[in-house]
Amino acid sequence: MSVTKGSPDFGAVTNFEDGEATIALRGTMTQGAAFVLEAILDAAIDRQPASMVLDVAELDFLGVAELLTISNAEKRLAISGVTLTLRSPSALVNRLLGIMELAEVSRRERALPEHGHLGPEQLGDRGALSERFASSLSAEDLRRVTALPADPDVIDGALRLIVELARISIGGADGVSVSLLRHGVLSTVAASDQTIMAMDADQYSTGQGPCVDASITGHWFHAESLDTETRWPAFTPQARGLGIKAILSSPLRVFDKPVGALNVYSRKAESFEVKDQESAAVFARQASVILSDSRADVSDTQMAFRFQEALRSRKVISLAEGVIMEREGIDEEDAFSALLRLALSEGVPLRERAEAMVLSAKQPELGPEWELDD
Amino acid sequence: MIERGRSPLDVLDTYRQEAGLSHGELWLRYFELGGMSTGFDVEAFLYGMLAPSDHDHDVIAQALNERFKELGGDHPVPYATV
Repeated sequence: MSVTKGSPDFGAVTNFEDGEATIALRGTMTQGAAFVLEAILDAAIDRQPASMVLDVAELDFLGVAELLTISNAEKRLAISGVTLTLRSPSALVNRLLGIMELAEVSRRERALPEHGHLGPEQLGDRGALSERFASSLSAEDLRRVTALPADPDVIDGALRLIVELARISIGGADGVSVSLLRHGVLSTVAASDQTIMAMDADQYSTGQGPCVDASITGHWFHAESLDTETRWPAFTPQARGLGIKAILSSPLRVFDKPVGALNVYSRKAESFEVKDQESAAVFARQASVILSDSRADVSDTQMAFRFQEALRSRKVISLAEGVIMEREGIDEEDAFSALLRLALSEGVPLRERAEAMVLSAKQPELGPEWELDD
Repeated sequence: MIERGRSPLDVLDTYRQEAGLSHGELWLRYFELGGMSTGFDVEAFLYGMLAPSDHDHDVIAQALNERFKELGGDHPVPYATV
């Protein structure tokens, strides 16, 4: 028997065979899809299957509410000793689950305001689900991990999820947004509410503010109290006018180039403690990973440049290895280890150490300024 | 940082996730340091499906450690020959 449900954005097909219920999900499940998903899962659970499989191979995206729905279904099934297995999660779905775990780790005892019926209790234990998730990954799935969606809508959806999770997870956060440089223009791609949108817009129009600076410089900016803040004179009064007292902007990077920022706003001054700052950095890193994976913001020119740089780096390392091989009479791999030891003992990147070695070899009158450790 | 219920063999990929690098980006960094294996092989090393040579392990470890250093961290990934 099979049942098909869903809006044009997503679909679900349920199959029962030998006591096993298989539900295949496809498309993008957000904004209200949780209720439909809940109904589908409930209907399947009511038939008391011996086991249940959620096939998510064709699923592009899951929102927070949908992830929680699956987690709750898993718990209901677990009570009667039935296992829920997730089959073939895409890299993005896998990533979303990872982000959920992250939120779980840093989450404070607060309910989800948008989903009033889902309290902290329902957020519950995600460990079992993720473990099953990991164990259901097959070798073939891993081969597919590199095929990533580059659809901007999916990327923006993933960033919205990060914004939502960051807001409920970071202590002191009253609002969160993600700004991205696209085609040289900074804009907000995800924000928890309109005030936050307005705040970001004020920063773009004045060209000032922690979000702008973090996006451009790739550094981290923390305005602990806007009452005493002097760095952004045009922007600060506007933010205060909207009731904001503290801002934390963590840079987003793709291939080490700054491309935007994750901004956390608070109505209270000095509300971000060290652990909150760390959480913000972790969410910013997750957002960066999603952007890097999708290549959403990297042009072919940037890729070509990056590859050229990589070739240059290889060449200089290879030359340095050659110098060591000749001086020490050792093979290439041992020469790499020797170069690595030098870089580590001096606390510099390998490429930098290799460049220094090649330079010193070019100027033998200065003598070798390097020594190998034993 | 994140407990993901994985086998010890997957430990290199756990570092990759903590470092916030995609598979492609890590491979490029590995290549940059002179690594010779394909992206496909490096992924297999990360998941413990293929055992890297000591040299390959150290190139991957260094690529990850340089990333951790950029993020303000220490050198958490152990080396095989150093």
